[in-house]
Amino acid sequence: MSLTDEIQKVAKRYPESKSAILPALRLAQDEYGWLSREAIEEVGEALDLTPAYCMSVASFYDLFNFEPIGRHTIEVCTNVCCGLVNAQAVLESFERELDIAPGETTADGEITLRAVECLGGCSTPTIVAIDQRYRQSVTPEDVPAILEELRNV
Amino acid sequence: MSEALVLGGAEESPLRDLASYRAVGGYAQLLKARAMPPQEVIALLIESNLRGRGGAFFPTGRKASFIPSPEKVAKPIYITVNADESEPGTFKDREIMLRVPHRLVEGCLIAAHAIQSDFVFIYIRGEYSTEYDVLQSAVDEASAAGLLGDVTILVHRGAGAYICGEETALLSSLEGERGQPRSKPPFPAIEGLYAAPTLINNVETITTIPVVLEVGPAEYAKIGAPPDSTGTRLFCLSGNVARPGVYELPHGLTTRHLIEEIGGGVPDGRSLKAVMMGGSSFPVMTPDDLDTKLDANSLGQKGYFIGSGVVCVLDDRTCMVQFALRVGQFYMHESCGKCTPCRVGTRWLVQMLRAVENGTASESDFDLALDVCDRIIGKCLCVLGDSDAMIVASCVTKFRDEFRAHLEHGGCPFGHDSSLDGLFAPSDQHAAHREVVA
Amino acid sequence: MTDLVRVTVDEREVHVPKGTGIVETALAAGIEIPVFCYEPRLGEGIGACRMCIVEIEGIPKLQTACTTTATDGMVVKTARTSKKASVGQHGTLEFILVNHPLDCPVCDKGGECPLQDLTFRYGPGNTRMTFEKLTLEKPIPISPAISLDRERCILCYRCTRFSEDVSEDGQLVARNRGAMSVITTFEDEPYSGPFTGNVTELCPVGALLPTQYRFEGRPWEIQNVPTVCGMCSVGCNVNATVREGKVKRILSRNHPEIDEGWICDKGRFGFTHLRSADRIVDPIKRVRMHGFEPVSWDDALDEAERLLRAAHGRVVVALSGSETVEQAYALAKLVRVGTGSHEAMLPEEVTHSLDAYGLPLSAIRDAQVVVVLGDVSVAERAPIVDLWIKAARRTGARVLTELDEKAVRAADRAVLIWSGPGGRGGATVAAHAERLGLAGKDGCGAFYLPETPNGRGAADAWAAASDEEPAETESVGLLIVSGDEAANDPSVRALAEKAESVIAISMFHGLAAGWADLVLPGTSYLERDGTYVNLEGRLQRLRRSAMPPAPDELAWLSQLASRFGVELAPHAPMVFAELSERIYGGLSFGEVGERAPLRGYVGAPAHVEAPPLPEPEAAREGLQLVCYKPLFSGPAVERVEELQFQRPPAEVELARADAQARGIANGATVTVSHNGTSMQLRARIAKDLRKGVVRIAREHAGDLRGTVEVSA
Repeated sequence: MSLTDEIQKVAKRYPESKSAILPALRLAQDEYGWLSREAIEEVGEALDLTPAYCMSVASFYDLFNFEPIGRHTIEVCTNVCCGLVNAQAVLESFERELDIAPGETTADGEITLRAVECLGGCSTPTIVAIDQRYRQSVTPEDVPAILEELRNV
Repeated sequence: MSEALVLGGAEESPLRDLASYRAVGGYAQLLKARAMPPQEVIALLIESNLRGRGGAFFPTGRKASFIPSPEKVAKPIYITVNADESEPGTFKDREIMLRVPHRLVEGCLIAAHAIQSDFVFIYIRGEYSTEYDVLQSAVDEASAAGLLGDVTILVHRGAGAYICGEETALLSSLEGERGQPRSKPPFPAIEGLYAAPTLINNVETITTIPVVLEVGPAEYAKIGAPPDSTGTRLFCLSGNVARPGVYELPHGLTTRHLIEEIGGGVPDGRSLKAVMMGGSSFPVMTPDDLDTKLDANSLGQKGYFIGSGVVCVLDDRTCMVQFALRVGQFYMHESCGKCTPCRVGTRWLVQMLRAVENGTASESDFDLALDVCDRIIGKCLCVLGDSDAMIVASCVTKFRDEFRAHLEHGGCPFGHDSSLDGLFAPSDQHAAHREVVA
Repeated sequence: MTDLVRVTVDEREVHVPKGTGIVETALAAGIEIPVFCYEPRLGEGIGACRMCIVEIEGIPKLQTACTTTATDGMVVKTARTSKKASVGQHGTLEFILVNHPLDCPVCDKGGECPLQDLTFRYGPGNTRMTFEKLTLEKPIPISPAISLDRERCILCYRCTRFSEDVSEDGQLVARNRGAMSVITTFEDEPYSGPFTGNVTELCPVGALLPTQYRFEGRPWEIQNVPTVCGMCSVGCNVNATVREGKVKRILSRNHPEIDEGWICDKGRFGFTHLRSADRIVDPIKRVRMHGFEPVSWDDALDEAERLLRAAHGRVVVALSGSETVEQAYALAKLVRVGTGSHEAMLPEEVTHSLDAYGLPLSAIRDAQVVVVLGDVSVAERAPIVDLWIKAARRTGARVLTELDEKAVRAADRAVLIWSGPGGRGGATVAAHAERLGLAGKDGCGAFYLPETPNGRGAADAWAAASDEEPAETESVGLLIVSGDEAANDPSVRALAEKAESVIAISMFHGLAAGWADLVLPGTSYLERDGTYVNLEGRLQRLRRSAMPPAPDELAWLSQLASRFGVELAPHAPMVFAELSERIYGGLSFGEVGERAPLRGYVGAPAHVEAPPLPEPEAAREGLQLVCYKPLFSGPAVERVEELQFQRPPAEVELARADAQARGIANGATVTVSHNGTSMQLRARIAKDLRKGVVRIAREHAGDLRGTVEVSA
C-alpha cells in the first residue's frame, strides 16, 4: 500500500481527516526516516492540507526530524528525576563512546544521540529510549554494551 | 492500608490480556453500568467524590454532569482520555496502561455510557511505544469480544509536546492543529473536540471508575481522606529514595511515611533537602513540611498541590539553583509560544537562573525574578507559564540563602559536587534553535 | 431583535447587545482596551498577546477582553481601575519588549506602529531585561513583495490567522514552538496568492513590511489620499500614501460593504507601474522614414484634429473600461458631438438587467447558498469577492459551482455570481435570478464580475453623450484606442489594421507605438480625479494621488473639443456635473462620498426583463476549455517587479474527477490538445472546477480553443 493510501486509510478512522495529521506524519517518517520536503508534501497532498501547514504542525512536536538521522536513535532523559540519579553521566558516556554531542549523528550515519525531557520512567533512572523503546536503570557502565548491541543489529 | 484498587489484581503480574483481566472480575462493572440509566452512573461518581487525577483535582462526576444530554445537542458527544503523561516525575498512567489496560478500557466504556457518547479518543504521548502496543491490543481484544458495543475507541498517538497534556491543547492537537491551548470559556464540556461536547479525563481517573462501581460509591468515599480526597492514589515516588516506584495508597498518609516507610528513605546516608511535590509545576516542599498528609486539603493548607501524585526526593547534594534552572529549561522548551508572558517569561527566567548559577547576578535580581514570576502567574492563557513561575518562585523564596551563596561564591558553591551539575537540557540542542538563531 | 445587557466598565454603565465583545463594550463606554492580537476581521479573539487583560467581578483569574463577551450585570475593571489588570498589562508590554529590538528610528513602521503607540500610552518607561535579546536572521524576504523581520515579530499570529482563516491559502504559518517560534512559509517558497499584502497592514509591529516601502518615507513626510483602486471591477477603497508627489504605497481604507479593509496584491503592489521606465511622457507621432518622434502638444493636437477631420464621421473609439466616467464622457462628446461618429468598441458587454438584483458585496457573506457560475476563478476577476465567498462558506453557506435550483429556491438568502465568459454582461445570471424568484427577496441577489474596472461607467457615459445611433459604415477612417488595455486587445489591434489612421492614448511605449499614427500619453487611475462604477453599480470617487507626467486626458480633450465647437470642461467635477444631470439624477461630485453608498440609478427601471437564456449546449466529447485573463497580467502588472513571481505558471487546471479518470496526478506534465494543436502544461487539480471543464490562463493557452483533450 502506498504512503498516500495508508494515510487516507488512517484518516477515515477520524471524524475529520485533518485529525490524522500526526499519524500521517509518523507514517511518513517511518517510511523515509525523516520529514523531507517531499515527505511533507506527500502528507499534505494525502490530507488535502498545504505543505506549509503540515510543516507548521510537525515542527511543533519533538518527535519529528527535519533532517536525516541515524539508523538508530538514542534518547537519554535528562530531566530532574533521572538527573538526580546520574543521567548526565549516562549522557556523557554516550557522548564519549560515540564522539558526538547531543543532537548529533555519528559520521557513519549509524547513531543519533539526543537528550530528551522526562520520558515517564522516573522510578528506574536513567531512562534511555533506544529506537523508541525504553531501557530502564541505565548506568554509564551499561553504555558500551548498548552500543555494541546496536552496531550488531 | 487497603489493598490496591486501580492496580488491583496486577500486583504480581500485569493483566494485559482479556482472560487474565476477566479472571479478576474484569468488565463486570461495565455490565452493571450498562444496566443502569446513564444519569445514575454519574450520580454514583458524584457520590464517590472521585476527583481528577491529572492535576486539577476537579470532581469527576460533576464534570460528567456538565455534558449536555444527546437530545439537546445536534453534535456527537466525545470522550477524550488524557494519556499524554509528561509532567516530570509522573509515571503512573504508564503503569496503568502496562498493567491494567483493560481496566482503562472498561472505564472508558462506562464513562461513554454515562454521558451517552459513542466515540472515545485516548491521546497517548508519542514516546510511549510499548504502552501504545499494549493498550491498542487491549482495545482490539475488547472490540473482538464485542465489549465495545456501539462505541469506537481510537488510540491516538501524540508526537512529543508536554503542552498537549493541557486539555484544550490536547483538543487542538487531536483536531490536527499545533497543540496550542485555547481560551476558556467555552469549556470543553460545551464546546470541545470539533466544537462538540467533550469529556476529558486523565487515565487514572477513568481507570478508577470501574473501581468506584465495584467498591460502591459510599464505601469508596470512605477510603482515603474524606470528604475531598477520597479513594486511593497512584503516587510516583522517585529521585533520591531507596525504593522508588508507583505506589497505590489511600490519600492521607504523610509525605514522610511515603518516603521513609514505603520508599525506604534517602539512601547513602544523605539527608532530604526538598521534595518536588505534585509535579514540577508546583512549589517545592521543604523538610519541615514532611509530616503534611498527602491529600489535597492538607497539602493546600501549606501551599502545596497534590498534582499528579509526584513525590520526587532531592537530597542534600542537590543545588537548588541548578534544579530551578533545569526545571525552567523544561518549561521554556515546552512553552507552546502562543501567549506572551509564557513564551517570553520562561526564557527570561532561564537567563536569570543561569546568571545566578554563574554567580553573575545580583541580590536585586532575586526580587526581579519573583516579580517576573508574578507577572506570569495568572496572566497566561493556560497554566504552563504559571507552573514554571510557581516552582521557580518557590525555589528563590525558600532557598534564598543558597541562591545568595552563588553570588558570594562567584558561582555554584557546590563546585561540581551537585547531583545536577552540568545537567544538559534538550532546549540547547533543539535543531530548530540552531537553525533560526543567527 | 437584540437583547441589550447592562455592563459596567470602570464604573461607567453601558448597554450593549448581548454577546458583544468586551473590547467593543468598553469602547461603547468610551474606554480603550489596548490590543495586539485581537482583530475582529480575523474571527473570534484568541487571547494570545494578553494585552487586553481585565478583571471581571466574580472571576478570580484575569480574563482577556478579546475572548470575553458581555453578559447582563457584568462588572469589568480594565487596567485603568484594576491594579491586578494593570500589573498584567504592564507585564505583557514588558515581555513583548524583552525581545523586540528598539530600532524604531530606522523601522519603517515607526510613527504608525501600534506597539510604539501602546508602549507610549501604557508601557513601562524602562526595561529590566539585561540579557541578550533573541537574535534571528533578518530581514527575510517571504516574497519579493514582503520582508519579514523576525526579531521585531511579537508573535501575535494575526498574519498566520489571515492566511489560514481569511485568505485560506495556508501558506504563512508558525514554525517551531515556544520562544523559538517563527513565522515562515514552506521551505523557501514565496508567499504567493492574491491577498498576501494584507499581512503587512495586519502586522502591529514592523515585522512584515512591503519591500516597496522600505526606507521610502516617514509618517510626517507622507499624506494618505483617499481614493479607489482601479485595478478591477470591485473598486476597493484605498489610501494612496504620497510623498513629494509620488505614490509610495497603497493601503486599504475599509469600506465595510465592499472590501472590509482587505485589498488584493495587484491593487496594493501594482502602483509602481506609474514610474515604469517606458512611460510615455510626450506625444509621439509616426514620421515616414524616421519611425517615431516626440512632438509638442500643439503639434500633437493639430495632428489629432487633422486625423479626426479626415475621418469624415467614420471615427471608432475603442474603450478600455478603465477610463473614468468623466474621461469616457469627454471622449464621447468630442467624437459624437464634434465629429458625428457614434461607434464605440466596448471592452465587454454591459447590461442593466442586474439592477433589480443589486446588493452590497458584503451580503454574500450572509447568504446561505452562493452559486458561482462561469468557470473562471472569482479571485482572477474580482479578488475581494472571493474573500466574501470564503467568509460565507466559513459561516456555513453552501457554495456551489452548478446551479442547484432546489437549493436556491429553498434558501432564505441566495446569491448568484457569474464569473467567466458567456455571461452576456450579466444578462444570463439576471435571467436565472428572475426565473428563481430572487427579485425583491431580502438578502438575495446576483452579481456579474466584469473584466474591466469601469466598463459599466464608461459605457453609460458613452451612451449619455448623444442620442444618435451609429451609422452603418464600411470603413474605419480613424480608430481611437483609449488606454493600454484596449491597445493590448487583439481584436482592437485587428481593427487597427483596417483603419486608415489610429490615435492611441497609452501609458507605455511598445503597446501602440508600432501601429498608431499618433500616441498621446495616458494616465493611470492614481493620477486622475473622477468617478468609477464598480460591479455592484456603485458610483465611487477617485482622487488624484500623483501628478501625471503629462497633461491628463480631460485637459487636452477639452482643448481638442473646442476646435470642433464642442464645449467641454477640463476638470472632472464640471464634466461630472454635466453628465450627472443626464444619468445620475443631478448628484454633485462632492456628494459621491468618501465611502460611497450603493445608490439606485435615478430613473432606472425597477426591473429590466432579462433576455431569454440561450439553449443549453448539447453534451460534447472532451473537455470544455475556459481561457481566462489572470489577475496578475496586463500592462500594469507586467511593469511591476514585485509581482512577476505571481504571474500564473503554465498549467492546466482540471477537476479531480477528470484528472482521476485520466490517471493524472497533481503537478504532472500533461498534453493538452485540440484539432491537431497540442501543448505541454503542468496539471493542477482545482477544487472549485466543474467536471468536464478545464482552465488555462490566456497567456498560456496558445491556439487552444473550444473543446480539448488532456492526457497524461
